[in-house]
Amino acid sequence: MLRYAVERLIQAIIAIFGVLTIVFVVMHLSGDPTLLLVPQDASAEMIAQLRSQLGFDRPIWVQYLEYLGGLAHFDFGISVVQRVPAFDIVVSRVPYTAMLAAGALVVAIGMGIPAGIVMATRRGGWLERLLTAIVVTGQSVPTFLSGIVLIFLFGVTLRWLPTSGSGDFASLIMPSIALGAISMSTFARMTRISIIDELGKDYVRAGRARGLSLGSVVFRHVLRNAAIPVITIAALEIGNLLAGAVIVETVFAWPGIGQLAIQSIQSRDFLVVQVIVLLISFVYVLTSVIADFVYALVDPRIRLAR
Amino acid sequence: MSTAVIALRQRLRRIPISVILVSIVFLVIVLLAIFAPWVAPADPNRQNLLGRLKPPGFEMRGITYWLGTDDLGRDLLSRTLYGAGVSLSVAVLSVVVSSLVGVTLGMIAGWFRGKIEILIMRLVDIMMSIPAILLAVLTVAVLGPGFLKLVLVLGLTRWPRYTRVAYAQTLQVANLPFIKASELAGAGAARILFHHILPNIAGPVLIVATAEFGLMILMEAGLSFLGLGIQPPASSWGSIMSVGRQYIERAWWIVAFPGACLFLLVFSVNVLGDWLRDQLDPRSRSR
Amino acid sequence: MSAKFASIGAMLLALTASTALAQTKDTLTIDLPNDAATLDPHLQWNTDSYSIYRNIFDNLLTRDAKGEIVPQVAKSWKYLDDKTIEFQIRDDVTFQDGTKLTAEDVAFSINRIIDPKLKSPQLSQFDQIAKAEAVSPTVVKMTTKSAYPALLAQLVKLSIVPKAYVEKVGDQEFNVKPMGSGPYKMANWQKGVQTELEAYASYWRTKPPFQKVVFRTVPDVSTRIADLKTGKADLVRDVPPDQAESIKSDSNSQVLSVPTERIGYLFINAQGGVTKDVRVRQAIAYAIDRQALVEALLEGYGKPVEVLGAEPVFGYTDKVKGYEYNLDKAKELVKAAGAEGATVEFLTSPAYSRATVEAIQQMVNETGLKVEISSSDQATFLKRRQGDPANAGGLAFGAWSCACQDVDGVIFPLFRTGSIWAKYSNTKFDEAVDKARVILDQKERLKLYEQAYQILKDDVPGMGLYQAYALYGASKKLKWQPTANEAMFVTDMSWQQ
Repeated sequence: MLRYAVERLIQAIIAIFGVLTIVFVVMHLSGDPTLLLVPQDASAEMIAQLRSQLGFDRPIWVQYLEYLGGLAHFDFGISVVQRVPAFDIVVSRVPYTAMLAAGALVVAIGMGIPAGIVMATRRGGWLERLLTAIVVTGQSVPTFLSGIVLIFLFGVTLRWLPTSGSGDFASLIMPSIALGAISMSTFARMTRISIIDELGKDYVRAGRARGLSLGSVVFRHVLRNAAIPVITIAALEIGNLLAGAVIVETVFAWPGIGQLAIQSIQSRDFLVVQVIVLLISFVYVLTSVIADFVYALVDPRIRLAR
Repeated sequence: MSTAVIALRQRLRRIPISVILVSIVFLVIVLLAIFAPWVAPADPNRQNLLGRLKPPGFEMRGITYWLGTDDLGRDLLSRTLYGAGVSLSVAVLSVVVSSLVGVTLGMIAGWFRGKIEILIMRLVDIMMSIPAILLAVLTVAVLGPGFLKLVLVLGLTRWPRYTRVAYAQTLQVANLPFIKASELAGAGAARILFHHILPNIAGPVLIVATAEFGLMILMEAGLSFLGLGIQPPASSWGSIMSVGRQYIERAWWIVAFPGACLFLLVFSVNVLGDWLRDQLDPRSRSR
Repeated sequence: MSAKFASIGAMLLALTASTALAQTKDTLTIDLPNDAATLDPHLQWNTDSYSIYRNIFDNLLTRDAKGEIVPQVAKSWKYLDDKTIEFQIRDDVTFQDGTKLTAEDVAFSINRIIDPKLKSPQLSQFDQIAKAEAVSPTVVKMTTKSAYPALLAQLVKLSIVPKAYVEKVGDQEFNVKPMGSGPYKMANWQKGVQTELEAYASYWRTKPPFQKVVFRTVPDVSTRIADLKTGKADLVRDVPPDQAESIKSDSNSQVLSVPTERIGYLFINAQGGVTKDVRVRQAIAYAIDRQALVEALLEGYGKPVEVLGAEPVFGYTDKVKGYEYNLDKAKELVKAAGAEGATVEFLTSPAYSRATVEAIQQMVNETGLKVEISSSDQATFLKRRQGDPANAGGLAFGAWSCACQDVDGVIFPLFRTGSIWAKYSNTKFDEAVDKARVILDQKERLKLYEQAYQILKDDVPGMGLYQAYALYGASKKLKWQPTANEAMFVTDMSWQQ
């Protein structure tokens, strides 16, 4: 077990390090922010001077080594655009994305799991067909489209909810639904499959044979056993939600790290992008490690297979 | 009635009605996309500055704009029809690129093992832990936008999924007796990979590809929506919607029609994909 | 469980209460498309940032509604010699912490912005200044590297910062918690969300009209307009002309518009590609129907121009006429140049109106040229547009304003040989604009600019399309007259009585 843990951890560190390097190189290939910072009447010499003051005229490997050097002391550098530590900028936006991801998870789990249970237990009925259609719809609508439709319906036409804004509960509703829809489908599918898996097992047949109703078997035993893969999915979905947040936050002008990421890429604010990517890939890796561990703890066969 | 026809009928009867319906929807969209130049009532790029943002059914100078006009007075119906071709071809081509890259790498990793396996699979881990949309936005910043670059961006950011599947499948298949036999018979690695292993792992790869196809349509739309996709005046559904979003209050139709088409297309792809998976994966069919 | 619900309920109530409070009359809420990048006024000179920070700081000099340079923190000034100028500083100005603003602070502000260690992107605007020193508590002496007539125009952009405070808290902290001598002081800055300012009661010029001002960041236009209509915002900036109608139709909102010094223009590369041939450039100029652009795309919120300039800009002339819309002539010229079917690349970015770019593309395509749009993000656009002429594209659309109301800030950076924007070189033009830059005789300057405009007309390295109007959506309760230089001073606004 310990060896497996160490191995997994090393893999994770390598992955994060690789992400860091790839993003660093790609960002620097895309130019630097100097031209965006200078006033429109700046001369070529002035631009060159600022570029060298900001250090962007140095070879990329020098900049890379310097960046790694800073990282070693947990120094993420100072944003050249905003002139405050890049880490602080990102941290100030994290609560918004966390709120949004939590809202989306509530939507996804709150709707996905019940739907999955019904789909597994009422197989072949019209209800299952209807739910299947809803689930496929959830994953067929791009978040920006559902975003626009929601804004138009509830924001502009009915004026029930604020069209944008941040921080209060009312403005969290629409982005959460838009973001949660795709995950909802994932949860519904996973719940359905794992319940069906469980239903085929002997203890269920035995229970049914003793005269227990399907409902009580499901609620007393099946759900608990089927929960493990669903929990794993929940962990993995957090990473996907962060990625989905990029577009949803742009559509709803939600000031989280997704919106910040797009803006920072466009303003070539390298260090801020680095921190965001680092954070997201950290969450990705962390959640997948956790998911692996949950599996390994529960199911020793996986451990042996490695 | 010949037995073949009866067999076909029986097989068709086993196909759920929903699958037949979405297949028709899918086919209609594909056909409209292919024949857009003949079907479209107008030149999709012809502007009419005096007829901007007009509602569906608007008539001017003897032309009827069935779906209304956009902010430059262009016929939305024609633009949506032409846009279908762009959205579909970007999706098809990027699935081709990413599956080629991904499957090749996956087979190499699974067949040769050792250092190259570690290298490839670690790279997969890395790629999978950067959100695809961010990676795409970053790559567009370097390559610039445009049709071919879009295909390249999507293709080069989406291959790891195929690699994972191809790798896992290759590991399983590699130990099958007939492959061992041909290896002993002196067949080269390329021959074994493409003649023996590839056909045996095609099913699971196909499942990934259908799922990815739907995703690619959404990704293309998302990037075009952010203004990073196809170059104007050409349009994809995503870029039309991106324009329409500004005018949602004044001209809802600009978002509505391409949006509805996009939904129908992805919905039918997803239903077809689910069905295909059930057919190809006996484990899930038994459910 | 019920306790949990109760606490959530309380939270919701608090949230509703706080939004309700924000609606009281003491607060003015303004929706801006972007957040300020920095609020340290010595770091960024862009609209997003200075719309906010110019309400926190005073400038050494400023411009009045007509665009004339007038005193602000400086009472008066006089040249001691070509390179030395002496400013008399007011003695009744205090910073928001109550300390007095002195000549020391003015000298510090100048020396700070020209210090390479600050790495200010604004350095190029002040790099002609050698140094500044406080001669007495009310006198500052400034020396320039050489005779520099544009000095005063540049000093309009200089905010005065408190020496003691900046030195105490350091540059980084000052950027997050700026403090100046302006009418409003920083209350709270939630990055990417909103900036709250509070009135500084002992402001020296006037009593600030609102107790509190909130600048919110709302990138999406339709959302800004929705905010206005629902009363979440009292003033919204950056309303595209074709959205004005939707504001007008609302009974509680009004459109405030004003002709600005901003000019929509078309850049035509004179040093690269098929547009190297002057006939092709003239053909493009003939092909563009400026009237149609203004009527259709700007819906009347703009005015076609003959030259690359507009009335509020000094040096503007109505004596030079532009090219009339004449498609036949355009086609002839393209044919004569043997350029039929030649490709012209049209560079653009999401920062520029896509509709305008596509409309121009269509118009130029009519001549027989083939225009291809290359839309990239702003960073890439600038890199190409300002780089090597061979790679700078054939066309680009822009909307230029120097916020200086002088043609020197328009055609000099755009077309003077060696400027980053110029893909054009004509010694006669250079001579005219160089000379006009250093003389003070206004009549003589006007004449030189007329010459320069005539040369630009013949060579067409670019052309003016229209004078842009600034459009704001405002609550009907708000009284404000926007200005040609698109400034946004809260002290100019008030509630309708």
